[in-house]
Amino acid sequence: MTSSTLLPASASASASATGTRLVVAEDLLALLRTTTTEPRPDEQLEALTLAVAADLPVLLWGEPGIGKTAALTQLAASLDLPLTTVIASVHEPTDFSGLPIVGDDPTVQGVPMAPPQWAVELVRAGRGLLFLDELSTATPAVQAALLRVVLERRVGALQLPPGVRIVAAANPRASAADGWELSPPLANRFVHLYWVHDREVVVRGLGGIWPRAELPSLVPERLPEAVAYARRAVCGFLQARPTLIHRLPNTETRRGGAWPSPRSWEAALTLLAFGTAASASREVLALLVRGAVGDGPGLELLAHLDRMELPDPESLLADPASAELPARGDLRQAALEAVVAAVGARPQRARWESGWAVLVRALETGVPDLLVAPATALAALRRDDWEVPEAVERLAGVIGLARLADQSVGRATAAAEARRTTEARR
Amino acid sequence: MEKLLAARLHAVKVRPYLAGALFALHVVEDRSVPTMAVDAHWRCYVSPGFVAHTPVEELAGVWVHEVSHLLRDHHGRGERYAREHEEYGPGERLRRNIAADFEINDDIYGDGLPRPAGAVLPLLLRLPDGLLMEEYLRRASMSGLAADLAWLDCGSGADGHDRPWELGPDGAHGLNKQQRDAVRFRVAEGIKGRPGEAPEGWRRWADEAFHPPQPWRQLLGAAVRSAASASGAGEDHSYRRPSRRSAAVPGVLLPSLRRTPPRVCVVIDTSGSVSDAELGSALLEVAAISRAAGGRRDLVSVISCDAAAGIAVPLCRAENIELIGGGGTDLRSGFARALRSRPRPDVIVALTDGQTPWPSAQPPCRTVVGLFPRPASAVNEQNPDYAPDTPPPWARVVTIS
Repeated sequence: MTSSTLLPASASASASATGTRLVVAEDLLALLRTTTTEPRPDEQLEALTLAVAADLPVLLWGEPGIGKTAALTQLAASLDLPLTTVIASVHEPTDFSGLPIVGDDPTVQGVPMAPPQWAVELVRAGRGLLFLDELSTATPAVQAALLRVVLERRVGALQLPPGVRIVAAANPRASAADGWELSPPLANRFVHLYWVHDREVVVRGLGGIWPRAELPSLVPERLPEAVAYARRAVCGFLQARPTLIHRLPNTETRRGGAWPSPRSWEAALTLLAFGTAASASREVLALLVRGAVGDGPGLELLAHLDRMELPDPESLLADPASAELPARGDLRQAALEAVVAAVGARPQRARWESGWAVLVRALETGVPDLLVAPATALAALRRDDWEVPEAVERLAGVIGLARLADQSVGRATAAAEARRTTEARR
Repeated sequence: MEKLLAARLHAVKVRPYLAGALFALHVVEDRSVPTMAVDAHWRCYVSPGFVAHTPVEELAGVWVHEVSHLLRDHHGRGERYAREHEEYGPGERLRRNIAADFEINDDIYGDGLPRPAGAVLPLLLRLPDGLLMEEYLRRASMSGLAADLAWLDCGSGADGHDRPWELGPDGAHGLNKQQRDAVRFRVAEGIKGRPGEAPEGWRRWADEAFHPPQPWRQLLGAAVRSAASASGAGEDHSYRRPSRRSAAVPGVLLPSLRRTPPRVCVVIDTSGSVSDAELGSALLEVAAISRAAGGRRDLVSVISCDAAAGIAVPLCRAENIELIGGGGTDLRSGFARALRSRPRPDVIVALTDGQTPWPSAQPPCRTVVGLFPRPASAVNEQNPDYAPDTPPPWARVVTIS
């Protein structure tokens, strides 16, 4: 029964007037919805895309109303995947674990767990983006059932096909009404991304221009190289820091977040390979790696990547004249210290001399003060029968600088000493 | 330039743990800078005139001062403060700069690093040392100082406000956010790795740089709520009665939503070492949390506990709880008392300063400990070797400060 049959005949004229009013309203709405986009790099979205492409479950943390759903819509459109949104808090546990249906003879047939419609449709489509929203406001039983969907990709008796990617969203503890939090084993399975809004993007978007992120795409030629790089990075790092392989979160502040374990290191390795193959920026890699293994271990791995990119000390020693040293002071000093360490590991006169040549090269291309420590260390490696190479004379300025600094430290200590004695006398 | 670099070496020599950060700074010579200034991208702008008439040892202090602005993320914090309090404009910028300087200057000098003549100290406004920039900003107007210190300018690295001489995010030799984090992280790890070398202020910074302390209210709330919503209590699905949906789907078994409010028992350490104000605020918090988690007021009971446990008092009105006790503490009696009460609590929340023995076995319900931190130097006079046990691993511990 439609509403028009209820209206008396005389009211149909006013009904058509309402109709035209609605048409005008729709025109206004259409105008409001006409927005343009501009290309704008978006690191969050790039990280999300890479993690989804890598088929790792992603958990978006963010305050309500911040645009997580909008981001997911854009992601689904750009990956050309149908989006299925399931709002966890309005469902019952059986909607995810399957509805038990009592048949004629349960002892013979068993009780089948019937999956809900959205799952059946996802399986029929074979591919899609499953977005589990409002994870943190669902009851614990619903969450427990949902985690099986996320981890085992199972809804009742149905197995979700590999073409289905899963993203979940939760409100941070501070704003979550029920304060649900992930237990460490569950937190360990997600890549945690923290969704924040950019003031500029929001203001500009409300003005009619939304950003359009350039989504990273994987370069087929770079795949083997990316895998080799990621393996070398993670294995080399864990060899140097074995204590970071597995570390349960121990304080209340770190609960519910990412933490390092063999599982999450594997995720980090996968993400690193995907990021490299897509030529993603360091910021995006940082978001992903920190989201997989946690802030501390993630930052340490990134620092390790920085070190991996330092020039190889042996090739610097082989050809000091054309050595390319990093421009940043702290990295440059690290590279020079690596050179000195390489000389110290196999002290030979020729290597010692080319070590000095590398230092001279560094002096010619940058500031002198960071040469003091490596030069002192290199000088200490001298054997009695080695003559000081001529090149060292060009480092005289560095020695002068070191002397100036020493004198200044001496003055400062003397002044402090003098002040202490006068105070004591008083 | 030579003098400036010698000063950097001086700084590295007396503060070796800051070497990485000091060397990561890129020096830009600029005559329009009043003295020395940093921007958020780790460039250091230097006035040649200032270098010429400042002794090397004082320049070393300025180096450490400027790099401290960057390490302590004063630009990010300054911007956040400005946004939260809607305080913009040159006067406010100066206020933030002064507050940031207070935070730095009260603990970086000395020990081989003389304090430069113009360094501003919290003493100027009769403020205590050791506070954070935000606390200084909240406590004092600093308007009296502003006129005298208008020349003071540490650049956008100190307050997040761009200056005309700065090269901006796209200029040469800047560090991006990830690189800045990496440098800060390495310095923090260096300090944590060799804690003996760095003073207290830097050690605290290193501990908190990448794990800022969360407000205890939220942590306590999350702990109590997650304990209260565990199986057996709270709002959850159960098969005890059929769901209302069942009528619509014959042949299907559905659970229904049932609410079992959690019974929370708060054991309060009323020994002399915990102040009434601390207890009051923590207790009100627990009551509010358990109400939010679905509990009724009559389901929250309170046991005050010193050497012996008092009686469990139902919390009907938060105002009239009588906290009896004083003297030594033995929380074990409090736990025993809580577990003896009928019906048994689903959650025990212990509020204590931790100067107590703990039960040897895990109680048969969730346990949350709200811990009032006490300085490690508090020594028992009768028994100087006495060190209180740390809370047991089965309890979730929230530090209340």
